[in-house]
Amino acid sequence: MFIFEQLSIFFQQILVLVSNPFNILILFGAVLLGIIFGAMPGLTATLGVALLTTLTYGMETSTAMVALLSIYVGAIYGGSYSSILINIPGTAASAATALDGYPLACQGKAGKALGLTTTASAIGTFVGMLFVITMAPLICAFALKFTSFEFFLLAFFGIIISGTLTSHDLVYKGWIAGFLGLFLACVGRDQLQFYPRFTFGLSELDGGLDVVPVLIGAFGIPQIIQVLKDKIIHGEVKRFQKILPEFDEIWHHMPDIIRSSLIGVGIGAVPGIGEDIAGWVSYGAAKNSSKHPERFGKGEISGVISAETANNACIGGAMIPLLSLGIPGSPPAAMLLGALMLHGIQPGPMLNFDHPLFIFQVTAILLLASFAMWITGILLAKQVVKVLWLPPPVFMPIIAVLCVIGSYSLGLSIFNLYLMIPIGILAYFLTEMQYPIAPMVIGVILGPMADANLRRALMVSKGSFLPIVTRPVCLILIMIILLTVVSQTKGYKKLIMKISGKLFSKR
Amino acid sequence: MGKKELRKADFITSVLLLLFSIWMLIETFKMPMKDTFGGVQNVWYVSPALFPLIISIFISVLGIALFIHSIKSGGAKYFLDSISEKNKFLSDKNIRFISILLALIFYVYLDIPRIDFFISTILFLIFFIPIFYFDEIRLLRKLTLFYCIGNIVLIFIFITKLSTLFSSYYKYFMDLIALSFFLIFGVYIWVNVKNNHIFRKKYIISLLVTLSVPLILCPVFRFFLLVPLPREGLIIQVMYNIYYLIK
Repeated sequence: MFIFEQLSIFFQQILVLVSNPFNILILFGAVLLGIIFGAMPGLTATLGVALLTTLTYGMETSTAMVALLSIYVGAIYGGSYSSILINIPGTAASAATALDGYPLACQGKAGKALGLTTTASAIGTFVGMLFVITMAPLICAFALKFTSFEFFLLAFFGIIISGTLTSHDLVYKGWIAGFLGLFLACVGRDQLQFYPRFTFGLSELDGGLDVVPVLIGAFGIPQIIQVLKDKIIHGEVKRFQKILPEFDEIWHHMPDIIRSSLIGVGIGAVPGIGEDIAGWVSYGAAKNSSKHPERFGKGEISGVISAETANNACIGGAMIPLLSLGIPGSPPAAMLLGALMLHGIQPGPMLNFDHPLFIFQVTAILLLASFAMWITGILLAKQVVKVLWLPPPVFMPIIAVLCVIGSYSLGLSIFNLYLMIPIGILAYFLTEMQYPIAPMVIGVILGPMADANLRRALMVSKGSFLPIVTRPVCLILIMIILLTVVSQTKGYKKLIMKISGKLFSKR
Repeated sequence: MGKKELRKADFITSVLLLLFSIWMLIETFKMPMKDTFGGVQNVWYVSPALFPLIISIFISVLGIALFIHSIKSGGAKYFLDSISEKNKFLSDKNIRFISILLALIFYVYLDIPRIDFFISTILFLIFFIPIFYFDEIRLLRKLTLFYCIGNIVLIFIFITKLSTLFSSYYKYFMDLIALSFFLIFGVYIWVNVKNNHIFRKKYIISLLVTLSVPLILCPVFRFFLLVPLPREGLIIQVMYNIYYLIK
């Protein structure tokens, strides 16, 4: 009975959304815009969501969510266009797609490759959606038992885990980025006593840093600088005739799709880990499990399907911690969190009480977005790829203007622009020095939660840290945090090598 | 960034991080720990200093770890070597980077707060699009220098309060000056590219984009999304007049 009731609410939400023609228009428009953003090298899904947030500020929350989730879904899929046609990933999420997508295009199978990625991405988004609707309410219910200590540790866990997994160089660079984000979150009057911290006497800083200009600065400005400074030049765009859904081929690769969807959802659910890692892990898993691993990199269809299914399934995965715990699962989800806050929605365990239909609404939008993405992809791909001819020096300055007007328009404050530029330059230098930006952004978002909950928890325990080891969830979280940190030390790695060596020699 | 450059950067960053964490600790200790604030007697665990204190400790520990690693991996040595080396500061890549920064800084800190948003934007785009679209370093250097001189003149007018004097004669006088700068800069680019038909074509495209972007954005934000623009001057006023004339 319960399941039927839930299903009926879900379908009601779909009906409510599609009964409004404006929503349909926004749905297809945002998906198309997302595909364009994803397809153009230099523009990212996060930037697309960030810039659209400013335009949806005045809309109803449900309409705004249609726009933002649709652009997110469209952008993750759109990255495959440039990966396949010019061998340059439009977004980091499609980097793995290029390995086999471009060789397919070189063999004259660009249309087939795009047809496969279109259907695989739609299936990936759909599977992700199934996990959102089943897992998010369960986690929400479980998280109701959390106290302030758990929330403090959860924020800490988010920063440590995303810092660990997103660092390409030294692991502590990710942690440093996370703590710099936490510092930025400290700026302004503190939530409990309204004491001004690091405000330099500027009244504009009393309210703290606005999240959206910080995110636009952190993701937009470095992108503009990198593209223009490093002269990204496209190769020749491969031509194709038409795109077919390729259902037979997809059915033939069903095991790849199921495995990639699960990998995508799982990776998406880990705080701060984006679609790019999901794509790579899924590609690696497909190669390892293949009977012909030597074909990978030379135009193997499994490679294209696994990468594209996983990166789109990651969207649903990223929505699970976002909705149930208020912790973004990926950089675009961090931007979505900022947008939700602007619309007065605070994701977390109380979401089901404050907005009982919201999770259903999000899943309904994800379903509609995957459907709209599939239709748009099949019908308009030939027209959309024309944007690949646009030279980056022409569109990146336009993006700069959009970043400026976007940052300004949310708070109608020029001070937001004054902040956006230095944060953007800082983010650029950090990126150049191989510091990941996602942990910094997560730090900015989770900082207030960590700060207020730590002090509230200590108030209740009268200054005692004992509940950290006496409460089961706290204990699990602290163990994971410690294990994550310790596992990066040389001593631990040596110990593991020694143990595995002994086990191996016994055999 | 290559491995050597990365380790050198790590050394510099670690020193900066350590200095930053020391500053943060000093600032944190100025916050009320056990004293009264706003009539409330504090205890250490409710103090606003608690969280920044934890962060500054973590940053300093991580800064030390980075410092040790950079020394072990030769970062400090690379840094010391690079001091004695003669670096080419004005290399092509650095010039491109400086041009981007200058464009953004002049746009955000100089033009947007003081000049009509439409004019600020065309002034920004007429510089920012062609310099990279031409993809010719000699032109980039030349145009950047000219753009800087023009903006320095604007800074001079604002600093010496000549802008207030001019504006007392005509409300939008500074907008007119900025518009004149746009026209002069446009002509300057034309003079430099008129003999090359590829550059000429690129310049016309740049000019079209430069004018069409704010022509779409300003009415959308001002009249459709009802967002007041940062500075509404001469051109936005003209848009107002047209809007109410149509309405």
